[in-house]
Amino acid sequence: MGNRTLGAGAGAEKTPSKTPRNRGVGTLIITAYGIFAVSAFARAFYQIAPFPQEGKVQFVDAPLALTLSAFAAAVYVVATLALARTSPTAWSVALAAVLIEMAGVIGVGAWTLVQPELFEVATVWGGFGRDYGFIPLILPFVGLFWLLRHRP
Amino acid sequence: MFLLGTVICALSTLICWTMTAVRAHPADSAIISLAAIELYLIVYGIYAGIRQVMGAPITGESWEFWGYIITALMLPVGVFVWAMVDKTRWSNLVMSFVGLVVFVMVYRMEEIWWGTAL
Repeated sequence: MGNRTLGAGAGAEKTPSKTPRNRGVGTLIITAYGIFAVSAFARAFYQIAPFPQEGKVQFVDAPLALTLSAFAAAVYVVATLALARTSPTAWSVALAAVLIEMAGVIGVGAWTLVQPELFEVATVWGGFGRDYGFIPLILPFVGLFWLLRHRP
Repeated sequence: MFLLGTVICALSTLICWTMTAVRAHPADSAIISLAAIELYLIVYGIYAGIRQVMGAPITGESWEFWGYIITALMLPVGVFVWAMVDKTRWSNLVMSFVGLVVFVMVYRMEEIWWGTAL
């Protein structure tokens, strides 16, 4: 990562924003995304892997919730990697990921309220991220704000 | 053990927050507080290992418990490396996440093991 960020840092000097996108407060946002990437991935893995366990909901029982769980994990992983990189392409990818995340947390959050019977298994985005202190709801807005402040 | 973890995590988070305010670079005290959390997790893991070898009953799934411990053990190291990529005031705030997240993870591990964390 060192070489890439070094080159991008030199380029960022020409733009009005002094701090590169993945530095300063940016490191903080990337850390938050990274933690969610890891925990969402671990959760989806635990939910989907067919471990024989009493009381565990298997994939065939709740395909929708578990697919959404895996999808959320993928979005967080992509968002983390894209936010950490400084190329214009990464900026676009990050923007797309953050917008999908925003739509996901609001959409799935509303969906869990309307049809809770479809979601016996919790996903990261269920109930607007209630299980995670509503941080999944706040995070895309913070990410979007940061991306718009640091256009390539 | 859970109480001790809560205290260590809370102290670490408070130290990191304070250092975010007063230091413009990663503070030694913040780094040491991460090391304290890592040490706590190692002790917690050894304690859990002894418990398991002695045949203590576990309420939840043991592999889920160990999944949590391994992830938790990697967290202070990973966040430390990431915080050192950019040595600014914000490194301290980045490191403050460890205390918060490890607290939640220990809470979950206690739940998995005992059925309840309290």
